[in-house]
Amino acid sequence: MSEPLDQTRGDTLPLINDAQSTSLSCNEVSALCMKAARGAGMSWGLAEEAGFAAAWLVQRGFDGPEHLYRHLAQAQGRSWQDLCPTVKSGDWQAPAGRAICPIALGATLCDYAALPEGVGVGCEIKIGPVDYPVLLLPFLVTCAETASLQLTLSWDGGSACLARDRTALVDAFKALDGRQASLTLTAQFGTVAPAITSAAPQTDSDTITALNAMAMRTTVPASEASRAGAGSTTTDND
Amino acid sequence: MSQFEPDLHSEIAALRRPAAEVMRLARMGCSHPTRLSFLRILLRRMKSDGWQVDRPVWDVDTAGVGYAVYRAHCGPRIYSLVAFAHDLPDEMRSDRVIATAWDATFTLFDGDPSPDDIMRLGANVPLQEAGRISNRELTLARANRSVRLFNHVVQALSEGRQPDPQEISAVGYLMRSTAVYGSGKFGAADRADIAARPELAAPFQVEMLTVWLIRAFTTDIVEHMAAVQGGDRAVRLDPDLRRMLGVGNSTGLGMAPFIVRHPVLLNNWIMAREDALARVRMLADVTPDAMVRLRFILDATIQNATAWKSDHPVQLPKLQDLRRDLQLIFEKFSTWPTQQHRPWDALWRWGMDALSYEGQEALLALMLEPHGDLVDDLSDLMGANEAATFRLDGAMTVRELRSILAEHYGWALAIDFTAPENVARFWYVSEEKLEPRLGERASEEGAPLEQPLCIARLVSELHATLQDHNDDEPVAALLLAHPEHRYVVRRVQITQNHPYAEVCDNLIAADMLPIDLLRCKLAFFGASRFDPRSDRWVRINLFQGAPYPDEIGQSDQQ
Repeated sequence: MSEPLDQTRGDTLPLINDAQSTSLSCNEVSALCMKAARGAGMSWGLAEEAGFAAAWLVQRGFDGPEHLYRHLAQAQGRSWQDLCPTVKSGDWQAPAGRAICPIALGATLCDYAALPEGVGVGCEIKIGPVDYPVLLLPFLVTCAETASLQLTLSWDGGSACLARDRTALVDAFKALDGRQASLTLTAQFGTVAPAITSAAPQTDSDTITALNAMAMRTTVPASEASRAGAGSTTTDND
Repeated sequence: MSQFEPDLHSEIAALRRPAAEVMRLARMGCSHPTRLSFLRILLRRMKSDGWQVDRPVWDVDTAGVGYAVYRAHCGPRIYSLVAFAHDLPDEMRSDRVIATAWDATFTLFDGDPSPDDIMRLGANVPLQEAGRISNRELTLARANRSVRLFNHVVQALSEGRQPDPQEISAVGYLMRSTAVYGSGKFGAADRADIAARPELAAPFQVEMLTVWLIRAFTTDIVEHMAAVQGGDRAVRLDPDLRRMLGVGNSTGLGMAPFIVRHPVLLNNWIMAREDALARVRMLADVTPDAMVRLRFILDATIQNATAWKSDHPVQLPKLQDLRRDLQLIFEKFSTWPTQQHRPWDALWRWGMDALSYEGQEALLALMLEPHGDLVDDLSDLMGANEAATFRLDGAMTVRELRSILAEHYGWALAIDFTAPENVARFWYVSEEKLEPRLGERASEEGAPLEQPLCIARLVSELHATLQDHNDDEPVAALLLAHPEHRYVVRRVQITQNHPYAEVCDNLIAADMLPIDLLRCKLAFFGASRFDPRSDRWVRINLFQGAPYPDEIGQSDQQ
């Protein structure tokens, strides 16, 4: 069955295609983006990080799914070695001739947060270049919250100070809303303002459809055996 | 916990059953509902907080088509079930999650819906998965009639007589729900948006409230249809017969992955139950009140086990075990020396020797029953903030990681994954219907797209990788070299502080029974009359015997 109102699917998102845009729940964003990232080749654990990042952005009013999709569309098919950073104290390099995946970088920055190579008071780390650096924000703010840090990102032509303050975040978001950047990350002790959430953004139906197409790569086509095993073996009309 | 001095807490911890005992599928598949089950938590709160329920809208025609609104007033808030009644041809009635039409569809609205809200919901809720709800809605659900009992009850009531109690007992419900979605599904409000409300803090409270209000709708609609058919002759359903009706539920594989995907939540459910058991085992005496209550509940449990029907070959011997064990418990009560040191502990130890898993888990539920004052506060600990455990500890060393594996995953490391029977199945998501399914690795396509529910094998693979890594290496470096282990390392780190986070069995083994996972989860919901329809599909009953909206204060099941 594939009529426009095919109600026989255990998911609603494939059906959002006649609308221009819609706002998704955080649970939907996280599930859709996790599956899409897996479909685009990430490991399950990293795909969970992609889902986390997209949902974090949506909670703060930014269109996380759109940014994640743009990144996945160009990064899919690249091997891990072509996406991950080389971690050295003060110097997190991209693979030769490539840019780092912001999800891999963000997750690794969090992993290293309590280690000498990681983000700490007084550090100055050269990073990059990194693709779609906006997707780093969820990870950087998490690091800042955990260790009470005030992080500053600077790049050729600008800089942004990350606090949990909404204005600072919006400024950082706008400044980092580009294709690729080489960054310098510094940290000092900082107080953190209360977390601010915002109304969910509208996500374009084309983005949802495209992410869903990636997510569908994690599914298995039907066979007679799979259909046979799926339901009750007795009648339901009783 | 006024009963316990702080230094007794470690003793309680020592009395908790170990994960290696309680997290095995064979025992999880014998789980019984307890007073910590989620529907019991809801019923207690409704009674203690004096909830009021009304039905401001009933707009259903003579064909049984229309809509109704049920409002639950609880302190400052209102939750409203918006119910849509449909005219469903028999041939379209299916319990599968992939059905396309239902006898009735529902949503739980956060507040008091306006006519515009109802219009919007009327255009979406009847479509279920193909519609879209908003963050003003908390759940989306549907139900189908038990054709046999529904028609019987309508017929009897329309002719001015009560339905046959045996018929009511044999089926147990007028309608069977086939899905109750919450937690942000289809655009609904996220769990995080409502988890801070005291009345919704325990797990699955909006889902339970939805089902409880659906139950009221099912009896209202039979009375409505009886009045349509019988006119002045029709009578209402006798309250005692009405009590015997719950809401059926039909559940398949889709529910099984949930408890694997939510390790912290699973841990917190089991931990609360195990702490409750330990607290009761610590008690110094058996009060006369407790003895009276215990005998009363045992009678009810025996009656329930007698009425509990199943034709499934797995369930039949379990029911025999249960009935025999309940008789043994009944006999034990007349010889149980309640004056001895820690009599409840002695009773429990007797049960561990004398009873099957079915009997032991039923005994656990019985022992908690007279001790609400002692254990009910544990329901406050059954929710989980999963965001708080998401972040990995990258500074942990490989040595520490190995040590967690040795302490908590010996059961997984002992499995030989080169043996075909230990990798016989794979979990996957169907492209056609987007539902979780279980495939046979040797004969079905799709194993490369396996879902990460084979925890034991993932742990085994991690363990093998660790052989090549230095003890002092941090997890951060391990994961940079091996991103494929990120998923399982997160779980292993969670298990370090959540001992009941893992099902300690091989979930892809040839002889694994998915209904064992389903029964554990459904028992925590408060389900009774577990009736497998296959090894991966089950029917249950919810709220049977519980009060209706006009009886909230009368609950003896509290």
